[in-house]
Amino acid sequence: MSSLFDPDLARTAFPVLLRGLLVTVELTVICGVLSLAFGLLVALARMSPFGPLRWIVSGYVQLVRATPLLIQLIYIYYALPFVGIRFSPFVSAVLGLTLNVSAYLAEVYRSGIEAVPRGQHDAAAALGMRPSVAMVRVILPQAIRIVIPALGNYMVSLFKDTSLAAVITVQEMLFAGQIVSAETYDYFTIYTMVFILYFAVGYPAIRLVILLEKRVKAGYSGRKKLIVTPTGGVETVELIK
Amino acid sequence: MITVTDLCKSFDGTQVLNNVSLTVAAGEVVGVIGPSGSGKSTLLRCLNHLETPDSGVIEVDGHQAYIDERGKTLSAARIADTRSGVGMVFQHFNLFPHLTVLQNVASGPRFVRRKDRAESEQRARALLAQVGLAEKADQHPEQLSGGQQQRVAIARALAMQPKVMLFDEPTSALDPELVGDVLAVMQQLAEDGMTMIVVTHEMGFVRKVAGRVIFMDEGRIVEQGSPAEIFEAPAQPRTRSFLSSVLTHTAQDGTA
Ligand SMILES: Nc1ncnc2c1ncn2[C@@H]1O[C@H](COP(=O)(O)OP(=O)(O)O)[C@@H](O)[C@H]1O
Ligand SMILES: [Mg+2]
Repeated sequence: MSSLFDPDLARTAFPVLLRGLLVTVELTVICGVLSLAFGLLVALARMSPFGPLRWIVSGYVQLVRATPLLIQLIYIYYALPFVGIRFSPFVSAVLGLTLNVSAYLAEVYRSGIEAVPRGQHDAAAALGMRPSVAMVRVILPQAIRIVIPALGNYMVSLFKDTSLAAVITVQEMLFAGQIVSAETYDYFTIYTMVFILYFAVGYPAIRLVILLEKRVKAGYSGRKKLIVTPTGGVETVELIK
Repeated sequence: MITVTDLCKSFDGTQVLNNVSLTVAAGEVVGVIGPSGSGKSTLLRCLNHLETPDSGVIEVDGHQAYIDERGKTLSAARIADTRSGVGMVFQHFNLFPHLTVLQNVASGPRFVRRKDRAESEQRARALLAQVGLAEKADQHPEQLSGGQQQRVAIARALAMQPKVMLFDEPTSALDPELVGDVLAVMQQLAEDGMTMIVVTHEMGFVRKVAGRVIFMDEGRIVEQGSPAEIFEAPAQPRTRSFLSSVLTHTAQDGTA
């Protein structure tokens, strides 16, 4: 082991990799926030009464879902400049990752919206809420809560997928690892560190998602579990401690 | 208060409401009874435009509701505005689970009438007291029994100060021991002069509170009259057989 893993190299490489990790986290947070918002807009646009908007948006979702993220990033950074559209590596990565993740999140949001029982729409309508008010005040708060665990899992995926940005020369952690290991040829030491650093952030993130899932299951009062009956009614049972 | 003329509604080619005509005067309490699948819920949902009728005219408070002068259905926004004058209570309560009891009751005034929060919640507290649930204001619906949830749902509908209240089997989803509290709230409402249409299987309540009973079967109003007329001397054989099956059943349950 000692012959394989070089502690001296590890010490000098550590700050470089950490700077890379910072970029990785930066990318994750920026793209995460943007796609959580944009994905919701896409989901709402897909339910719009305005046909052309629905078609455009559903075309975008299918385009993204039917092609690899890696190719999407490469296309934005290497191909678009030929038609005069030029972005820096970082902006290309933000654009590509956000457009990609948003398409998937839109599907997640849509499933959440569809999971809200019809009775909720009826009750909101019967009070005289206009459709947009009912959506914002009644449907979305419940829909988003239902999909929080799924959104969390997509955020963890996003964190891992930012490594693909190395291909378009964004200096995130994998790219930093490639630079250092290309100088020293010590792939084992460097990639072991990269591996561990990803895990060090990824594992707590997974735990956080599990925690969120438990919170969601504990109900709105934090003490009960919500069950939607086949007839559309809602029953509750006390959580067994 | 409500006039329905020749209301027709079908789902996928099946006629669910067949030329239903009906008049309900202000302050009147009308009980609607009939076998399951006879179109009672659909009738109430049409009155509130939760279902779009195929044909027929619905007038609420002297105005033709939900369609304009040329017979075109109003925009979703204008339907919503019209609807806010008609309160509705559902079999499964349909409280908003993400809001507290107080916020549920205040939701109409706040989100529909855009009243400010303090004013809406003050009125909501008064309504909660009226249905006997003042102390539950800060809990979530999931922490309440079915009977309590239904009383909150009634308070939520009342917060919009509706001219008419529609009840669709408000006690059918409740454990028997919780039915009484909900019926008591409804009876009080009736005594206070609210115009009410109540779909229910609680024949005791209809007998005591309703001024008129409507018996529906297969999408038609088969017979209507005072509780005495319908329960003691139904003219139609179908009314007779329905009542005898319901009343025997209730007697066997021991809850009659
Ligand atoms: N949204 C719907 N889609 C299709 N069929 C429906 C729908 N709502 C009600 N129906 C049908 O209409 C008939 C009357 O239903 P309903 O009005 O709920 O009767 P009731 O309330 O008297 O039990 C039933 O046969 C029911 O299956
Ligand atoms: Mg019904």
